[in-house]
Amino acid sequence: MFKKILIANRGEIALRIMRTCREMGIATVAVFSDVDRSALHVIHADEAVCLGPADPAESYLHIEKIIAAARSTGAEAVHPGYGFLAENAAFARRCAEDGLVFIGPPADVIQDLGDKTVARQIMIQGGVPVTPGMSQAEPDPAALAEAAGTIGYPVLIKAAAGGGGKGMRVVSAPEDLAEACESASREAAAAFGNGAIYLEKYLQKTRHVEVQILADQHGNVIHLLERECSIQRRHQKIIEETPSPALTPELREAMGQAAVAAARAAGYVNAGTVEFLLDPDDNFYFLEVNTRLQVEHPITEMITGIDLVRHQIEIAAGTPLSLAQKDIAGRGHAIECRIYAEDPEHNFFPSPGKIRFLQEPAGPGIRNDCGVYAGFEVPVEYDPILSKLVVHAETRELAISRMIRALQDYAILGVKTPIGFLIDVLGSEPFSAGDTFTDFIGTHFSDWKPQLPDLDLAAVAYIADELSAAEKSTIPAAATADTVTPWQTLGNWRQ
Amino acid sequence: MSLNSGSIRTPETKLEKSTVDYRLTIGDHTTTLQCDTRDDNRLTAVADGRQLDAAYTRISPYQLHLRVNGKSARVFAADDPGGKTILIDGVPVTIQDTDALRQRTNGKKAPLSAPTEVTPPMPSVVVRVLVTEGEQVEKGQAVVIVSAMKMETTLTAPFAGTVSRINTAEGDKVAPKQILMDIEKEESS
Repeated sequence: MFKKILIANRGEIALRIMRTCREMGIATVAVFSDVDRSALHVIHADEAVCLGPADPAESYLHIEKIIAAARSTGAEAVHPGYGFLAENAAFARRCAEDGLVFIGPPADVIQDLGDKTVARQIMIQGGVPVTPGMSQAEPDPAALAEAAGTIGYPVLIKAAAGGGGKGMRVVSAPEDLAEACESASREAAAAFGNGAIYLEKYLQKTRHVEVQILADQHGNVIHLLERECSIQRRHQKIIEETPSPALTPELREAMGQAAVAAARAAGYVNAGTVEFLLDPDDNFYFLEVNTRLQVEHPITEMITGIDLVRHQIEIAAGTPLSLAQKDIAGRGHAIECRIYAEDPEHNFFPSPGKIRFLQEPAGPGIRNDCGVYAGFEVPVEYDPILSKLVVHAETRELAISRMIRALQDYAILGVKTPIGFLIDVLGSEPFSAGDTFTDFIGTHFSDWKPQLPDLDLAAVAYIADELSAAEKSTIPAAATADTVTPWQTLGNWRQ
Repeated sequence: MSLNSGSIRTPETKLEKSTVDYRLTIGDHTTTLQCDTRDDNRLTAVADGRQLDAAYTRISPYQLHLRVNGKSARVFAADDPGGKTILIDGVPVTIQDTDALRQRTNGKKAPLSAPTEVTPPMPSVVVRVLVTEGEQVEKGQAVVIVSAMKMETTLTAPFAGTVSRINTAEGDKVAPKQILMDIEKEESS
């Protein structure tokens, strides 16, 4: 087993990986940019190396600097997390050249599946159903316009190297295509270092259902059930749950087998996710394979009781999978809410700033994978995820009640968050009915405004806060931005 | 060893009992409360004939515990430039003291209700300037694209007119209130 792993990421996911490493007795190396000098992942690691300026291209996306950091600290393996270099085949290859183990699939597999068009070709050959669309990326606006005409509007622009909704646009009318393509390509170039785009048919009424897979280096492939991630804004998931309310045991079996077939067709190794679109008639179409740990992996961990990161590390070390398909069973229901620094009243626009106060929910069945603390300045340069709030309960109904309770107990001051919005979504009739399709927010919550609270109570709270303002300075400021936290007094990491 | 003498409070710094009127704006609502405060962290407020008897305990600089007419509430509060954010049961609301607001806006221009300027909503980087000086623009026309936290946002012309000056260029780091472009309003509109 490895003695030391470098985590080439930041925020909550870097922390999450470090926690498993610590449980496995593996030392951790963090990397960070200038604006992340006091970020939680830096504080949590056994060692940390500064990569340079905040610009991702100069830090978290800079392959040579990360390789140098691994070499100088003696790390044997690199975990890329999600985003940044997680699905970058050149990085995986570069690690291999330097004798570093990349904790993920082989570079060639990342390359094949990372190009969404090649992935589509592999799946077609493997007998996995795909959505209608192009199987080549295309830079020429005229050719794109022609392809869009053939596919039929509405079309979906997708980044060939994409993921997480970056570089994705729905286009309903031909006159909007050129500008949308240009903007999508630019966003993709900034996010992935590759601006190639292609078009797929935009399927109007679908659920997003994905299957977690694990494959070892010895040809064993299993799936770890599904996750439904239909609640999205700007094509980015914000609520995920498992099991999907739409799946019958037969459909679950069929999709699980399709995912295993997809993994085998691609020669997949390590943890991965096969994403499908599921239509109301139970037809499912291959969307893409995410060749990494997913943001929403914790809900699978909650219902299966399996630590996916531990299995990732074991697989990367060459250990045969200790689990067989018959060992995998889901118990209860899990839901995840993504807590971003964003303003739900203004189209979820990012809301960076300093976290002034943070109080996390606690109690039975609650897990909060959090990457920030009171006093931390959320940088504008990166994805504004603060934490992932996950609950587990016996049934879907109980999980919903538990999530609402947990959200109500979650206090974050200093940046805007979607917590009030999430409470309303979880408490809504269509969500409760499992009527969850990818157009859910557009259909049910497009002009959402926060419900006004009890005005009398809020007014009294205002007055009480004013009247006791003088006491603020005399009370120990636990968990607030105004005191030096133990984190900030820790130091002595390697630079 | 030293004791923090500042933690010992002296009673004469508090009001024994006084009556204060608060005019508070919460969203679109303005509410007036007649408030009797006492020196034992209790207050009685009357709003539209409803009497609210409250006891409060400060837990931390950002946290209070309230008991209003016998019912308990956990409250989180922070002062922001736009007022005070009060967070109860996960839902934030911004409350402004209307009287203080009036004082602040006197002599200055009134708060803007609709955008009249091309300015980013948050610190961003300019990725594209879509118009040139002298160009006629329509209301709502895309003029600048900015990017923040990896997300692009299109800024639009607040009214129809002529672009008289462009104050920014691609790659510039820009901040809210910074006017990226001057647009001369079309007189006829």
